Amino acid sequence: MRNLRRTIRVRHLVPVGLVLAVAVGGLLVSLSAGASTRARTVPSGSQALAATPPPIRYVGNFTSSQVREGQLLFEANCSSCHGDRAQGAVGPNLQGLGPATVDFWVSTGRMPLADASVQATQKPPRFNGQQATAIAAFVASLAPTGQGFPSGIPHVDTRNASLAMGNRLFVLNCAACHTITGAGDALAAGAYAPSLHVATPTQVAEAIRTGPGNMPVFGSGTLSDAQVADIVAYVTGPIQHPNNRGGLGLGGIGPVAEGFVALLIGVGGIMLIAFWLGERA
Amino acid sequence: MSTTGHTTADRPSGRRPSAVDAGLNWLDDRLGVAKGGRVFMDKIFPDHWSFLLGEIALYSFVVLLATGVFLTLYFVPSTAQTVYHGVYKPLDGVKMSEAYASTVNISFAVRSGLVIRQMHHWAADVFIGSIAVHMCRIFFTGAFRKPRELNWIVGVSLLFLAIVNGFLGYSLPDDLISGTGIRIAYSILLSIPLVGSYLATFVFGGVFPGNGVIIPRFFILHVLVLPAIIAGLIGAHLFMLVRQKHTQFPGHGRTEDNVVGSPMFPTFMAKTTGFLFMVAGVLWALGGLAQINPIWQFGPYVPYKISYAVQPDWYMGWLDGALRIMPSWEFAGFGHTIPFEVFLPGVLFPGLTSILFIFWPFLEQKLTGDRAEHNLLDRPRDRPRRTAVGAAFLAFYFMLFCASSTDVLANFFQVSLNVVLWTFRFVVIVVPIIVGLFTYRICLDMTGAPRVGKRKRAVLIVRSATGEYTTVEAAPRPGDGHQELEPAPVPGFIQGPEDGEEREPGVRRVARRT
Ligand code: HEC
Ligand code: HEC
Ligand code: HEM
Repeated sequence: MRNLRRTIRVRHLVPVGLVLAVAVGGLLVSLSAGASTRARTVPSGSQALAATPPPIRYVGNFTSSQVREGQLLFEANCSSCHGDRAQGAVGPNLQGLGPATVDFWVSTGRMPLADASVQATQKPPRFNGQQATAIAAFVASLAPTGQGFPSGIPHVDTRNASLAMGNRLFVLNCAACHTITGAGDALAAGAYAPSLHVATPTQVAEAIRTGPGNMPVFGSGTLSDAQVADIVAYVTGPIQHPNNRGGLGLGGIGPVAEGFVALLIGVGGIMLIAFWLGERA
Repeated sequence: MSTTGHTTADRPSGRRPSAVDAGLNWLDDRLGVAKGGRVFMDKIFPDHWSFLLGEIALYSFVVLLATGVFLTLYFVPSTAQTVYHGVYKPLDGVKMSEAYASTVNISFAVRSGLVIRQMHHWAADVFIGSIAVHMCRIFFTGAFRKPRELNWIVGVSLLFLAIVNGFLGYSLPDDLISGTGIRIAYSILLSIPLVGSYLATFVFGGVFPGNGVIIPRFFILHVLVLPAIIAGLIGAHLFMLVRQKHTQFPGHGRTEDNVVGSPMFPTFMAKTTGFLFMVAGVLWALGGLAQINPIWQFGPYVPYKISYAVQPDWYMGWLDGALRIMPSWEFAGFGHTIPFEVFLPGVLFPGLTSILFIFWPFLEQKLTGDRAEHNLLDRPRDRPRRTAVGAAFLAFYFMLFCASSTDVLANFFQVSLNVVLWTFRFVVIVVPIIVGLFTYRICLDMTGAPRVGKRKRAVLIVRSATGEYTTVEAAPRPGDGHQELEPAPVPGFIQGPEDGEEREPGVRRVARRT
């Protein structure tokens, strides 16, 4: 009997314990991940309100002090490239582009430009929202806003927006460049569609309405204000805060990352176990 | 049945027959299971770890079957349109196929549905990955040589069937990304000269996207037809394995005419059962911890919608990569168009690949003139040419796999997509050549160098009385020489343990031909 007890050594229980730990750990984490996402339900914006405000308010009447502040900022930061009346020099002519265009390029940090040879990128903006509005006010004061550009900086009200509609419109109009998860991707010849994970509601609406760089303009004939609000709600909702039920999101770039995980962690991990179980020579 | 440490003397002689014995006797009297069972239990498994790689595939397949049955209970294989009103709000009120709606439901509404769904997908990725690794071990050690060419062919068939079944399964949820994949498959079918359009119409039951028949058709292939064929072939694979016995690495006491290792029962049985649970455990952990294919973020498939950054699962990557980097050549004439840019990479290339894989053992026999039977494995470095060719092929397919993520790479490294594309057109050809030559050289150098691959002896640092330090090689430790692999005699097949001398689990040697 003593013999028998001696044979069941702790060492023999290690594999069993390991498997149990892995399995129970996976189960617990997956269950808790499920529970936490269940608690954090996705907001649905379709509660009916008594008086429906417009989905987008275009703010285009600026005070003269805003214009003056904007002029100072513009002359200090932009005129070297765009000319002191924004008539264009190294950079393009900005007159008539409207306040929304200018606000977008400044508030996303694209302007002032650091390197004129590549596509302007999102970077931490140099100016705060108020200053960006002021610069937009100054540029808008120079010339009447051109045909097809929004007359003001869009303020989006997503309370009545429909996420389902936003999803449909996003897949139809935007996913072809920005990808379905909004992670962004390379387009032809060095251009790329940026990630949508940091844009504010106003910036999304501005991008849609003014079509920065290689992005097409979606005018009010293509997308109504209500539809833009739907898209904005979808981008700032499920796209920026995806429901990553089921574990680590792996960057939203799909099967490439998944393949590496499957091969390195899955097959690789199991091969290590095999290496441990088997003889080495 | 763990009797390690016992000697026969410990055991009471004249054991009373237990209920198990009685049951087995009953079966044996009717079916004669003792003989087959003896063969099975005495099957000797070499202990080298690389012999467990095939088992990873086997056990992932078991996990695939189990999780797949669960999914079948909730999945609706239909493209009939419904309007979704479920737990996942962003899709509320969206029109979609029943297939997609039921997959979203499995992910959100069915208890533990998402874990099982993700386990199934991870298991598929690991299944095919382990087949590839297993195949590498067979290839690089020359286990496919006579008399095992048939088993190699069965193996290659398994590989390709597994890939096809993976693609079918990936297509079932009818989400935007997999829908794009089906669309590509349709175009590939169309590109076949002469019969393409008929074939595509035949498979899809009409012009793409068909009349809603494609999902039900894929479904029945994916859950019934192909798994049945795969299971049958695995059976044949293992039957041949038992019949022909394992190969083994050359070593102390191992010859062309014996197999040294652990018997099926009890040693290997215990090991392999543990391994089954560990494989399942890893897959379970992946299913719970790492997200895979979050189809609810993609939305349902609508033929005129498209997303960028679409890749197939990794095992289709080499095909996708070939499609991507192919220059756009086309033949137009005689009232027909042959899109070579689709036909060559999409049809001809995988076709040639499978033919090459299937016929490799015969090709090698032709090239080397070696038609002898081989039960002892090669060390890869001792066959520099085969090893180099294998490494070059691996590099080739790996490069194609990387080419399937041209857009992701371009975006990640912030370079132009066109540059990445052209780079891959060269890299796919250049890298395999370099890898091949390099491997060849390394193999030659390794065979030349003494003591390469031997276990290092421990070194002692000794301080003399005068304070001088010297190093001396330590005496060999137990285990250094692998004396544990010393073969022990075993009884013949049919004899029961009563008249055999060897009762202990441990290393045995059996004759190859009985
Ligand atoms: C280093 C030179 C430079 C500076 C400084 C600069 N820009 Fe620009 N800007 C450019 C160039 C070049 C472009 C065109 C870039 C492109 O299309 O990617 C541009 C484009 C723009 C556009 C978009 C024009 C269009 O056609 O859509 C706006 C708006 C703009 N700049 C505003 C500003 C503002 C406001 C500032 C000051 C805060 C500023 N820029 C500072 C060089 C500059
Ligand atoms: C033809 C491809 C294309 C389409 C379609 C497209 N975009 Fe863009 N988008 C771009 C490119 C390119 C840029 C970057 C412009 C630049 O920086 O020069 C961009 C920039 C943006 C930005 C700015 C991101 C940031 O934080 O800097 C937002 C927001 C945006 N797009 C939203 C949308 C939405 C919403 C839609 C659908 C209505 C859409 N885009 C459709 C190509 C596209
Ligand atoms: C469904 C996929 C597969 C499963 C489940 C599977 C399973 C197994 C198992 C368990 C073994 C015995 C252990 C071992 O030697 O690793 C084995 C042996 C073997 N497999 Fe596979 N295998 C699969 C695919 C393949 C493939 C793709 C090939 C090659 C192209 C292949 C070729 C072989 C050969 C030749 C043997 C005999 C090796 C020997 O005797 O040493 N198998 N297989």
